[in-house]
Amino acid sequence: PDGTKKRRKRNRWGDTTENKAAGLMNLPTAITAPMTAEQLDAYVTHLRVEEISQKLRINDVVPADGDRSPSPPPQYDNFGRRVNTREYRYKKRLEEERHKLIEKAMKIIPSYHPPSDYRRPTKTQE
Amino acid sequence: MSMMAGTTNKDADSGRVLCLMNMITPEELMDADEADEILEDVKEECVKYGPILEVKMPRPTTGNRQNNGIGKIYIKYEDSSSAKKALAALAGRKFADRTVVVTVFGEEYFDVNAW
Repeated sequence: PDGTKKRRKRNRWGDTTENKAAGLMNLPTAITAPMTAEQLDAYVTHLRVEEISQKLRINDVVPADGDRSPSPPPQYDNFGRRVNTREYRYKKRLEEERHKLIEKAMKIIPSYHPPSDYRRPTKTQE
Repeated sequence: MSMMAGTTNKDADSGRVLCLMNMITPEELMDADEADEILEDVKEECVKYGPILEVKMPRPTTGNRQNNGIGKIYIKYEDSSSAKKALAALAGRKFADRTVVVTVFGEEYFDVNAW
């Protein structure tokens, strides 16, 4: 009613002091050494894989309120338990992103080793 | 290059253009409203560290989805001291639940969109 455009989401920046996954992965985020575009791409790919791995390990998978997308209709299993919980959906999304990044990393980084807790999805999964 | 001495900044890592990485995905940029919001959020935060001359956020266009700049945001500050402050403050912060990685980017490349 006041004529200003209503924002759909809150500001995307996180708090200055809170970043659990980044604190655990212990990788530099301020790059001051000169790097080529290819080197930066490889480094950021590696860092994102590590970031997702940490998030999965500490179960920090559900984004804060404003960063969440609308929930799909609930699905239940034969016992009446909800299967597509918020946690399940975000975990799956991160696992899929990590899988794609690892495939990419194996192509662009010589002697790349995926994280030890990474399992390649089997073809039978949808 | 010795003839350049005195005309260029000797401190190689003190540029005034920053490149912010690991913040956004090409999918988010496909949505024009979302892309505008992202740009707004980024400008709002980055101006806290000093006056900004220009911000560039390459977006995917039909026929050009493999542009190296897509998924990155480039900020040109008025002076390198602001850029330095911003680099220290923004690196490691969370943006939409991803950890921000920051590097200094060559101004000569920024000016001609050579990502």
